[in-house]
Amino acid sequence: MTVEEAAPTAGGTRRGVPRHVACVMDGNGRWAAARSLPRTSGHQAAETTVIDVIEAARAAGVRWLSLYAFSTENWQRPSGEVDFLMRLVRRVVRKHAALLHARGIRCRFLGVADPRIPAPLARDFADLTTLTGTNRGMTLTVAFDHGGRRDIVEAARSLIRSGLPADAVDERHFAAHLPFPDTPDVDLVIRTSGEQRISNFMLWQVAYAEWIFPPVLWPDFRAPHFLECLHAYRRRDRRFGGVTPR
Amino acid sequence: MTDTPAQQPASLFGPDSQFHRFFNDPRWALAVVRATVMEAAHPQIGAALIDNSSFVMHPWRRLRNTLVSLQRMFGPDEETRQREAARLNRLHARLSGTDARERPYDAMDPEVRAWVVATLFESSVTMCRLSGQPLDQATMEQLYAEFRAFLDVLTDRPDHLPPTLPEFWRYYDRVVEEELENTEALQIILYKLFDHLPAPPVLDGLPTVWAAGRALAGPLIGTITVASLPEPFRRRAGLPETPGAQVLMQSVYTAVGLSRFLPDGWLRTETLTNLLYLTPDSDDPQAAALTAVRDRMKQAGALFRLVAPLPEQRGPAEPGGGGAPRGSGEFFTAVLDQTGDGYLDWPDLASMAREVASRLDLDEPEETRLYNAYAAWWRELQSDLDSDGDGRISREEYVAAVPSLAGPALIRVAEVLFDVTDADGDQVIDAEEYRALFRTGFRRVVGGSGGSCSRSAFVKEFLSFMAGRQRSTAYDPLLTGA
Repeated sequence: MTVEEAAPTAGGTRRGVPRHVACVMDGNGRWAAARSLPRTSGHQAAETTVIDVIEAARAAGVRWLSLYAFSTENWQRPSGEVDFLMRLVRRVVRKHAALLHARGIRCRFLGVADPRIPAPLARDFADLTTLTGTNRGMTLTVAFDHGGRRDIVEAARSLIRSGLPADAVDERHFAAHLPFPDTPDVDLVIRTSGEQRISNFMLWQVAYAEWIFPPVLWPDFRAPHFLECLHAYRRRDRRFGGVTPR
Repeated sequence: MTDTPAQQPASLFGPDSQFHRFFNDPRWALAVVRATVMEAAHPQIGAALIDNSSFVMHPWRRLRNTLVSLQRMFGPDEETRQREAARLNRLHARLSGTDARERPYDAMDPEVRAWVVATLFESSVTMCRLSGQPLDQATMEQLYAEFRAFLDVLTDRPDHLPPTLPEFWRYYDRVVEEELENTEALQIILYKLFDHLPAPPVLDGLPTVWAAGRALAGPLIGTITVASLPEPFRRRAGLPETPGAQVLMQSVYTAVGLSRFLPDGWLRTETLTNLLYLTPDSDDPQAAALTAVRDRMKQAGALFRLVAPLPEQRGPAEPGGGGAPRGSGEFFTAVLDQTGDGYLDWPDLASMAREVASRLDLDEPEETRLYNAYAAWWRELQSDLDSDGDGRISREEYVAAVPSLAGPALIRVAEVLFDVTDADGDQVIDAEEYRALFRTGFRRVVGGSGGSCSRSAFVKEFLSFMAGRQRSTAYDPLLTGA
């Protein structure tokens, strides 16, 4: 853990760069529809944005970046689209694996529990995690087949199994049973396309997050938009329920 | 440890002995394989190996135990030596029976034991000859005296090995000419063991690396070993004469012998076997460095797979099972069938007891208690599961009857195991006692919050491993580790 990471986020003063930024990548379908293209081409166009945002976040000094790629609810989409997404993600992971590693980015995948995930894709996820596991640059968490409630239920289950007496359970203990317990709280969530919902995303970790809803659709989202969001975040007062000290 | 230079017999052992010179010699690996083949060719030893030994399934464990034992026997400390000799005698006293042709075998037979020592000595001498650095007469005689003293410590009667070297060679040639056979155990060692050699614990997660290396090394070791056996025996046993094998064998011996030019301390058998035997996830300090190397290899493998061109396949989703409890058939193969003959019978359980006893370095009467508990369990298993009454339990019989496995005798095994592990008798297993048995510190042991483990928690974990077929970070390396 670097000094920078160890610095507390709580405080209520105006902040510099957020430590942990999460993006809900929304608007691929609408982007495609606006161009009379199939929904799948919206997903395809999202690839460029993903790489752009990762690069922008890294350059801006963000230590933790989380991307919401696929939710537990997304399985309800038409099977053709799901299949396409699986193949696309696999291609993207393989295409950029070496680059991500070279950039010193530690990648990991949150969720990935459903048996419907093709085995080769799960293998690639595991490989990328292994490959970049020792990197000390930015940590990129890709939420794939993720559900915030499911994580909390899983944590509760694991907590009960650990046999900790009920009175001893506090937030810290609980958080230690969540997947990737080293992940710090999310400071800033960016949800593109103007939609204003949480959609079951990292529920525990977004408790005190600032939310920004840029109207731009995800495939059009670029590094300047991202930096704008960081800038907006810096202008906000974060009080964590307290009052701003004078 | 106290040095006793004044004491004459002790000077045959210890760090100055000829034996110690060989112990860290990499050629010794070849010599030990050769010696084992020569041992296995003896009908009595061959039969004992086939019936009792777990070396096919757990060769690395066996290798390590053997080396530790040899080190104790040839070490400087007289007390350790006597204890080890007593332990070996107890161990071998439990190995007797009849072979497939109803000929009796007995691991305590003095002639048999003399032959084991003889093969070790002869293989060490031959190893030097084959690599072009023969021993001079004086060294050879000293080495012989050391091995004779070794036998002397084991048995009270030294006269089973001839007193002088010339007589030894006559004795050796006679046994080779008249007694050795092409036994089943010999066939297994030469042609099966190395082709199917399970990965040492350290490479357990890298099956491809291991399989690739083994496919090359397996036949090579077999060929080299056959070529180094005495000609009369090769002829009688009908072993193949591969063209070029002699040259290959001598080149390998010579090449390995060149390692003597390496700086001191680079190659130490002890370090090497300990490394191989380490479970990568254990918290042994050495494991850290090793885990680092292993992780690099894994990373390289991951990168390779990721950048390899994508074969376009759209296979159906496969459910991936990580730490799922194993099926009962798998448990049978991985844990219960220690000898790997497809059946569960007494030697399998005895092998578990043997492994626990040697890990904990048990003395009497604890060792007998442990064996008795396992024996009672065996009787219970036999009466409950052996439905066709052939005296052993097949995989099918086991799978059909799994739920009844946790009988009173198994609980008794767990309790005795707790008692013998609890060396200081304070009714808790502390971190050190735990480490002695499992070679790793406390992990997330059930109820092990205070760095110790109570009787009930210990028994519960053991039973859930043995009966519930739950995987266990502690028992898996102990009983399934190769």
